[in-house]
Amino acid sequence: MEFTVDPETRRAIEQARELGEKELRPAGLEADRRGAPIAPDDPFFARCIERGEGRTRWRGPDDSAKSSGGPRSVISTLLVMEELAYWDRGVIIATPGPGLPENNVLVMGTDEQKERFLGPFLEPDRPRWACFGMTEPGAGSDAAAIKTRAEKDADGWLLNGAKCFIGGASRSDWILVQATLDPSKGRKAQRAFFVEQGTPGLGGFQIEKKMGLKAYESTSFTLENVRVPASHLLGGEQRRESNAGFKTALKSFNAGRPAIAANAVGMARAALDESIRFAREHDLLEQDRVRDRIEAMARRVRKARLVCLKAGWLADQQRPNIIEASISKALAAQVAQEATSMGLELIGSVGSRGDHLIEKLYRDVKAMDIVEGTGQVQRMIIARSLVGLPR
Amino acid sequence: MFDLDAGDEFDLVVQTARQFADDALVPAMRDAERAREPDSGLRATWNEIGLAALELPEAHDGAELGCLARALVNEELAAGDVGATLALDTFGPAATALLEVGGNDALAAGLAACDRGASRLLLISGDDADCGIENDGGGERLSITAPYVHAEAAGALVVLLDDRALLVESGFDFEPVRGAGLRASGGASLRADAAPIAGNWENAEGASRARARARLYYASLLLGVMRSACDFSAEYSQQREAFGRPIGHHQALAFMITDMRMALEAARLVVHEAAWRVDRGLPCASEAASAFAECIEVSRMVGPNGVQILGGHGFMADYPVEKHMREARALGLLCGGFDAAIDEAGRTLVEQTTPLALGASGAL
Repeated sequence: MEFTVDPETRRAIEQARELGEKELRPAGLEADRRGAPIAPDDPFFARCIERGEGRTRWRGPDDSAKSSGGPRSVISTLLVMEELAYWDRGVIIATPGPGLPENNVLVMGTDEQKERFLGPFLEPDRPRWACFGMTEPGAGSDAAAIKTRAEKDADGWLLNGAKCFIGGASRSDWILVQATLDPSKGRKAQRAFFVEQGTPGLGGFQIEKKMGLKAYESTSFTLENVRVPASHLLGGEQRRESNAGFKTALKSFNAGRPAIAANAVGMARAALDESIRFAREHDLLEQDRVRDRIEAMARRVRKARLVCLKAGWLADQQRPNIIEASISKALAAQVAQEATSMGLELIGSVGSRGDHLIEKLYRDVKAMDIVEGTGQVQRMIIARSLVGLPR
Repeated sequence: MFDLDAGDEFDLVVQTARQFADDALVPAMRDAERAREPDSGLRATWNEIGLAALELPEAHDGAELGCLARALVNEELAAGDVGATLALDTFGPAATALLEVGGNDALAAGLAACDRGASRLLLISGDDADCGIENDGGGERLSITAPYVHAEAAGALVVLLDDRALLVESGFDFEPVRGAGLRASGGASLRADAAPIAGNWENAEGASRARARARLYYASLLLGVMRSACDFSAEYSQQREAFGRPIGHHQALAFMITDMRMALEAARLVVHEAAWRVDRGLPCASEAASAFAECIEVSRMVGPNGVQILGGHGFMADYPVEKHMREARALGLLCGGFDAAIDEAGRTLVEQTTPLALGASGAL
């Protein structure tokens, strides 16, 4: 066994730390104070592009383009994500790039789709975003229950439905919309479609008001008789008869669970460090109750980090990790909420003023127990394996 | 590198321990508890497989596999019967305490005092006893009272204090008590009045590492007890039916079982990381204390929930879950228990500004 961080990952963490201290934390605090997402034309995003961020991992049609970075182990990615979330998780989500659907396009997309939809992210001329439209007002964790319809049209597809809580939808170049060919057939009938910004019928964008993570926009929108060409079905026409669309969507979710867990660990660690700083500044460290809380917070962070890394390590080993991924997500989100709450107890009424970092973290971190499958959904997944809980 | 594979060498000893637990410890569990000791057949088999010398240096005919190997083996053994494990492992955490504090000479003295494990070398943590040292001109003497130790006989005592370890070979008495758990290991109150001190090794840093190893010794036993409780109750929940379906298919119990398993998985990783730090010679006192505290906290949830899942059956001695619940609690009271552990971990943590910052030292 080994519990070390390799030198390359340490360097990446150090870079993330520098970026976080200089850019992410200030931007996140400012967005929280303003109660609004960072605007698309904010200079912060231009600086992201100047630093080479916001690029696709796709290497171009001739496999020669400079991508946003070579293959990195899952473990390494998780550790860097922990560090970035330590500084501000909301800002990380807000940063430009092909985002959540990129993996689906890389895995399932045709060559033409990669060129058309990921091509602009090779050397982005400006901050560009893309997003994944899965969640609906009536279908959150139960993604199989989505109602957005896709009907075959003479020369393409007709989409109708409504989506909500979609990150960055109003500013995205395109949205990968998950829709069903037949709601009565559940997940088998789901497919994903590229819908470009400006397509007639795509509209009603409304930026939701959230309790935390205010740096990025969570947006609802509607699709009213939105026509997309046949070539906009992810994977091309041959996917029409296949249910691989839904499986691909879930694949990206599975890969995302340890990442959310790593985010939660980073946020909990920020609360821990702020608690220690506060206690030191107020000469509280000699009090047993204070040290006991700090110990409890640290212990939670440590165990959450380890379960998260175990899920990532299994993925790196190409071993099944569905149970461990769910454990990491359920446990890290829960203990991070506890840790931030303990931090608030430690700072007392200062936390009620609404301007302390720990208070912001307490609000921000709640989402970690909701996105990509709530803690309860994770427990259902685990229980299916442990005790054969029926679906 | 982050790597959770134990490696072939460890796999072999773990497999040996698991087989011994399944084939020998589990069937004899209740008999050993009633007799307050494992029977001679168990002892003979134990001596054959040689797991007692796992951590001892090669110079002392040990396998020198370290703290992590001990943690892995202890979990397997305790999943079988933790009380019998404590009785059979006659060195317990006492031998490594002597090694950490006083080096090979101290270990040699300890091994001689217990006739290389023919009798028990019993570790007494200063957190669990009232101790006083005096010198009457004829040498140092120890007076000690401990309300409970998980033995009723020993060849020698190793008393671990903040800055030293003492070896006491005579002048102490055990008065057997019923014991809340761990009965297969025996149980007694311990008393010594001015017992001669055969060895006194002063080394605060070594004592800190010895305490870390002792905590990890008991933490890994807790892992085994909890695993057994989790496995048994999860299996039972799929057999027992209520309201027309297995009780484990009612979401209230399914989630309880899931929470037990999640907590166990996390606690195991924390223990393994701390043990790995011990073996690498890294600072480990805070991590080991934290790991012990985590195991205790989790066991306070897992033990009673294991009984809860079985309902009335769980409350009866016909099933092992009541034993798991009692024994986990008894283990968690050793070495000063939860309070001493979080106190030590907390004091170390607050000396730092960013205690869990990634990457600075290379270790997590």
